[in-house]
Amino acid sequence: MKKKQLIKKATPYLFISPWVIGFLLFTAGPLLLSLIMSFFNWPIIGDSSFIGMGNYVEMFTQDSQFWKSMVLTLKYAAIFVPLNLGIALFLAMLITQPIRGVKVFRTIFYLPAVVSGVAISILWKWILNGDYGILNYLLSLIGIEGPKWLVDPAWALFAVILASAFGVGTMMLIFYTDIKNIPIELYEAASLDGASPARQFFSITLPIITPTILFNVITSMVSAFQQLTLVMLLTGGGPLKSTYFYGMFVYDNAFKHRRLGYASANAWIMFIIILLLTSLVFKSSSAWVYYGTEVKTAKGGKKK
Amino acid sequence: MKMSKKTKTVLYILLGIMTLYFLAPFIYMFFSTFKTEAEAVAYPPRFFPEKWLWTNYVDAWRSQEFGTFLWNSIIVTVCTTAGQIIACSLTAYGFARYQFKGKNVIFIILLSTMMIPWDVTMIPQYMEFQMLNWINTLKPLIIPALFGSAYYVFLMRQFLMGVPKDFEEAARIDGANAFQIYYKIFLPILKPQLILVGVLNMLTVWNDYLGPLIFLQDRSKFTLALGLASFKGVHNTQIIPMLCITVVMIIPPILVFIFAQKYIVEGTSGAIK
Amino acid sequence: MKKVMGMVLVVGLLAATLLSGCGNNKQNGTDSGNKGEEDSKVKIRFASWDNAEDLDTQQKLVDDFNASQDNIEVSLEAYGDDYDTKISAGMGSKDAPDVMYMWNYPAYHEGLESLDSYIDKEGSDFKKNYYDALWAYNSIDDSVYGIPVGFTTHCLFYNKDLFDQAGIEYPTADWTWDDLKAAAAAITEKCDGAKGFSYQIKADPYDYEMYLWSNGSGYIDADGNLEGSINSDKSVEVFEFFQEMQKEGIAVATEGGGTDEMRSAKTAMYIYGSWSIGTLKEDGLNFGVVEIPAFASSGQDSVSILSSSGLSISKDSKHKEAAWEFVKYWTGEELNKARIEYELPVLNSVVDSEKLMDDEYKAPFYSMLEQSSGYTPTSFVIDQWSVLGDNLELSFERIFNPSTLEDVKTVLDEVAAE
Repeated sequence: MKKKQLIKKATPYLFISPWVIGFLLFTAGPLLLSLIMSFFNWPIIGDSSFIGMGNYVEMFTQDSQFWKSMVLTLKYAAIFVPLNLGIALFLAMLITQPIRGVKVFRTIFYLPAVVSGVAISILWKWILNGDYGILNYLLSLIGIEGPKWLVDPAWALFAVILASAFGVGTMMLIFYTDIKNIPIELYEAASLDGASPARQFFSITLPIITPTILFNVITSMVSAFQQLTLVMLLTGGGPLKSTYFYGMFVYDNAFKHRRLGYASANAWIMFIIILLLTSLVFKSSSAWVYYGTEVKTAKGGKKK
Repeated sequence: MKMSKKTKTVLYILLGIMTLYFLAPFIYMFFSTFKTEAEAVAYPPRFFPEKWLWTNYVDAWRSQEFGTFLWNSIIVTVCTTAGQIIACSLTAYGFARYQFKGKNVIFIILLSTMMIPWDVTMIPQYMEFQMLNWINTLKPLIIPALFGSAYYVFLMRQFLMGVPKDFEEAARIDGANAFQIYYKIFLPILKPQLILVGVLNMLTVWNDYLGPLIFLQDRSKFTLALGLASFKGVHNTQIIPMLCITVVMIIPPILVFIFAQKYIVEGTSGAIK
Repeated sequence: MKKVMGMVLVVGLLAATLLSGCGNNKQNGTDSGNKGEEDSKVKIRFASWDNAEDLDTQQKLVDDFNASQDNIEVSLEAYGDDYDTKISAGMGSKDAPDVMYMWNYPAYHEGLESLDSYIDKEGSDFKKNYYDALWAYNSIDDSVYGIPVGFTTHCLFYNKDLFDQAGIEYPTADWTWDDLKAAAAAITEKCDGAKGFSYQIKADPYDYEMYLWSNGSGYIDADGNLEGSINSDKSVEVFEFFQEMQKEGIAVATEGGGTDEMRSAKTAMYIYGSWSIGTLKEDGLNFGVVEIPAFASSGQDSVSILSSSGLSISKDSKHKEAAWEFVKYWTGEELNKARIEYELPVLNSVVDSEKLMDDEYKAPFYSMLEQSSGYTPTSFVIDQWSVLGDNLELSFERIFNPSTLEDVKTVLDEVAAE
């Protein structure tokens, strides 16, 4: 009897053990080390010295770039997350419609997500070039003089958002998988009841995919905050630091100024912020996310 | 579900605009792969090359040992994809369908691992792999992935939480043990997600270049993405070979995607019944 | 269906284990070179920042070395644009390549081995064969950390076809900036769609100092102060001159280095290092190279910044003697000649034997080299160059970005104040 109890208790732990072991082996150590480094003055080459909260104090009180990058990144995230979520959902809905050639469209929209980030950045850099880029050329054909996208501080952020929306295919695919797997009987029943397509979307599709929406909100928030490769290759943080996202700030501190301790502190602050925002989103999720496990058939009450 | 002609037209227009946004850069890129370097930066931009230099592809492929790179990429992709599918589904199942002490805490830790900027854990990780003597091998790129990553665990967990509780109840009544329930009932339901994770992972790993950059030294161990990045020099970028290799690199993932679509689309209605 | 799934999973797992096992064995074989299996050959890692284009040539040269050596085997690692990241990561974990290309001595010298003793052992003639000015660029505090392997100064590139079209004489070594301005104006007027001159928006502060030197000023004075130097009248003059040309529409500020604009004939002149000679030649562009114009009021010849690359040895290398052998090879006469197409030779003997002073494209770079000795870049002097360089770069952007074109004196005063 006792043995069975033990196994029953141990089962969930056994299931999650792969990830836990991997975490302990490969992630926990480096994480801990980077936390420790944040309390040191740790140049890449040379000796390190313990400075306690020194890095953190410097960040908040002496480094104006810290605040600038932080605000800029928050701004970017505030635009990027809803925009990409919206486009992804919109596209996902588009390709679930019974239209001719839908398979082709599916592949087309997903195509950019398939291409290497390095190639995408170079591609857009080439397209957005103010002098010989094709975007401005096309605009000139219809009489608009395109701005120097990557040079004009007023437009650079927009250019980065434009290029980053390119990768929306992944989120679209995740939404699509979810939507496509909603049992078709639900829609049929609703149709019989006379519900319009819009009504069906809001009453059936949307609630059922809320867990996926939550997933996409959180993951796109995280990737917005960590944005580095695209902006590094496309604008290098410029012009005039107008696209100097927090990710670049950390990277430069680590590799350009070679201050690993300071960069680690930067990273941990960003981590805490993302953590806070994510918990907020999660807390709010109980109000709008609907999990099937909460459904009880005969018995009453909600079980979380 | 029938749609009015008006709706259809609107839909097609929308699709058309989006297609332009997504496809146009690639068409432009594709045509450019046949141009000379000077043509590629010419202004006004030329859409079609003057001469169709098919040899550009051959030159690009031969300029570095892309055959070796391809093989390395395949090894890493196949191994990590298999590993991720197994590890992540097991872990996600544990989180989604069980209650146990510390569940929320561990899950929060899991989520938070997604939020750490990589450039800072990069050097401590390098040091750890150095101690293990894994630097300059493909191991740092493969082995950690065999234990699952938070992103896919999270994804699968969300989906698993959407399955009604009755499923386990029924199976348990039939006398199945935990692993059997996971294996025989949930895994099939999870199939579209498994394929999705497989596709997503394949792409990420296929295009990953920071990992190989940091952990590899010998060119014989390079992956395709790293070879691609090598065209980017300090003073100039060889844009033509870069575009050629990019086009070549797109083909396997697209094929996988097309192939996988069938499985992702398959509904769960059968399984539920 | 389930059975198939199960099979797929099992097979996948097996494959994973097998393949990683196979991978292990393959790597174990090659990695254990240092650890005793192949005691005879010492393995050296050599890192270069060249991109794929020049890789074949380099690999062949490395192979030649390996063939000639019984005890040493060198493996070539090429990182292209990400060179700095890779080297930093390597040094940070005390695992840098044994031999590496180096130019940023101020930042990296703590991880490098001082080469003074090695040089002394080679005898007094060793140093003399290299152009004198180069040693200063490869040393910190009078200690040599890299053997010069290549260099470039900057020169004025000009498009002969555009000059012909506008009917103007080609630039000569006696030109002043006023001459250039006049020519640029004429070309912009007469040649449709082309501008006379171009320069970078994001000017590299390291490079840009040469213009201040040419006008008799600099970023800092002898005591290391910015105030009074970077915002002196002479400095302001330089910046305003460039900015004026943009405002008058005869010059364009480029997003990149300017080579692409040169290639597509959008600009008739630009100033750059020797890196683009190969590309422009390949394009078939009809171009010429000449020394940088002088500032008429300065009373001196123009000065260029030196970008010197050297070969360094890692302080943590376990095979320094072997590394030194390779360094000698790579920086020797044979190799200087072999790399002539993309790296200007640093050895006097090679310049003579290859008659480089007669080469219309290469000679001006050497003249500039001779005009430029005696200047030390601020980056070698100031500790916090990475921060200062950043500030400078940002200020230059504010001055040169066509959307801002801020007042020069104001911006420079701000920099001096920081």
